[in-house]
Amino acid sequence: MTFKKLAISMSFVVFIVYGVLILSLFYFYNGQLFLETLASERTLFSIRLSLFTATVATLISVFFAIPSAYALSRFRFPGRQLIDTILELPMIISPVALGAVVLIFFNTPPGVFVQEKGVQFVFTICGIFLAQFITTVGIAIRLIKAAMDEIPVRYEEVARTLGASPAKAFFTVTIPLSKKGIIAASILTWAKALGEFGATITIAGSMAMKTETIPIAIFMRLASADIEGTAVLVLILITIGLGILYGVRLLTRKASSFTG
Amino acid sequence: MPLIELKNIQKHVLKDINVTIGDKELLALVGPNGAGKTTILNIVAGLTDYKGEVFFDGSKMDNTPPHKRGVGYLFQDLALFPHLDVASNIAYGLRIQKYPETTITNRVKELMDALHIGRLEKRYPQSLSGGEKQRVAIARAIAPFQKILLLDEPTASLDSQTSKYLRIELCALLKKLEITAIFVMHDLLGAEEVADRIAILHKGTIEQISRPGDILFNPKTKMVSEFIGMPNILDCDDCRVLSSGLIEVVSGNMTIVLPYEGSTIKKIAIPPHDIYISDTKPPGPALNRYRATVTEIVPLRSVVRIKVDVNGNSLLTELPMETFDEMNLDIGKEVFVIIKLRRLRYVEEFDDSLE
Repeated sequence: MTFKKLAISMSFVVFIVYGVLILSLFYFYNGQLFLETLASERTLFSIRLSLFTATVATLISVFFAIPSAYALSRFRFPGRQLIDTILELPMIISPVALGAVVLIFFNTPPGVFVQEKGVQFVFTICGIFLAQFITTVGIAIRLIKAAMDEIPVRYEEVARTLGASPAKAFFTVTIPLSKKGIIAASILTWAKALGEFGATITIAGSMAMKTETIPIAIFMRLASADIEGTAVLVLILITIGLGILYGVRLLTRKASSFTG
Repeated sequence: MPLIELKNIQKHVLKDINVTIGDKELLALVGPNGAGKTTILNIVAGLTDYKGEVFFDGSKMDNTPPHKRGVGYLFQDLALFPHLDVASNIAYGLRIQKYPETTITNRVKELMDALHIGRLEKRYPQSLSGGEKQRVAIARAIAPFQKILLLDEPTASLDSQTSKYLRIELCALLKKLEITAIFVMHDLLGAEEVADRIAILHKGTIEQISRPGDILFNPKTKMVSEFIGMPNILDCDDCRVLSSGLIEVVSGNMTIVLPYEGSTIKKIAIPPHDIYISDTKPPGPALNRYRATVTEIVPLRSVVRIKVDVNGNSLLTELPMETFDEMNLDIGKEVFVIIKLRRLRYVEEFDDSLE
């Protein structure tokens, strides 16, 4: 077997592993139950809650990620390396641990003060926002920074000599040029937030009709040995997730090069 | 009042640069790579920090950010905005500075007509040729009514013919729009076509700043002389106008013919690499061909400098190393010297006080 054939075979092996896993869901597929589960108030609530929280968390993440990514991409400042390293945190420690850290924080005096005088995070929908935000913002910054690194600083310098302030150069040159990268990063951030489980269940709990997102609903069904219901919810999650990734593929395929 | 003044400028390689550029003047900065030419442009534009002072029209600019300096900059890589079409690229500065839409439309049209790019209005930079990109970038740089324009190797990426036409066109446009400009150029000949004055920069210092002809005919330092190719400068003792735009010049015991429409030439410059040496008598008419004797041979890295004596006139010539190896030349050997007719440079007037 040639090296080329071996490499291609490996990619098919991985594809088959995922394919078999997805197909196995249909072993427990029951048309009647699928419709019942999908149409149930609890499932629809989970879908609505997941879509809503993932969207809000993505907006907050991207809001912080765009300026942060720009700063890390363009400027050299004290603490830059430290910030860059901290961004890896959601990737190197498990979301449950991250959620546990947040819970521990809310048991310290500053955390108690925030909970009492500010916003209640623990066991609330705000907790879901927070959980999804802390697990996605680092990735959002990484992805947007990569898009901005691709854009030569020279375009901003040209804009400056044509009368644009640094902020105007950012909004009229850098943002339009990194638009496709930002959109792709936002979609991936959204997909990651949608599937977030560990930090969410730790901070917001698993209260039905209150903080039960789709991943939490899957966990709850599985815990009560409801295999059919679990399969239905997993299929819903896969459909939404793959739909989103297909959108990203379309976007990145159409992305043009920025060499003027 | 000089429009741009640089006083005691220091930055990286630049050591205490002092230069003034007059209103509407075109100054060329010429020098080898790493001399600090682009750094000077970046300092004038305010794109880099520096020690020293920069004045525009007598006003200190050191604390003025780039977007408030009113300096257009044509970067070597052009950097046309890929997300904007040609017209929007040119209009960018005008829109940012909130000019009325009618002013923007008129200015963009005026510049597109002046630079012959009207037909490209809706095209995107990716679909333009090198020359077209260059023209769009020039239009964009001067569109917001800039009084000062900086140009970093404006025609370096173009073929020599396109580059020559664009240089001449650009020079005429800058004069018409009364723009003060600093060009960075790598070759003296190109600079002479556009500049009112030329500054030769070497290792962060200005070696010489003079009118175009003066650099070639009166290099002040050994570095400048080396940089411009150590031309042979011949004083003209007598001139005789021949027919069909040619003139015969006598210098010592040499008679040289060159294309010229006037009647008086004071000095001739012949770059060493424009003199051929042959150890056999070349065919063809005996125009600008002489018998000579080799008096000195200096091998350098890739070329060999050879001094020859032509009827008492000493000429410096230059041969590629491979050609020299094939010729078996030696001191005292008789050779034939051919001077390329079209490559001769001359001055009609010469101010001796400059020497």
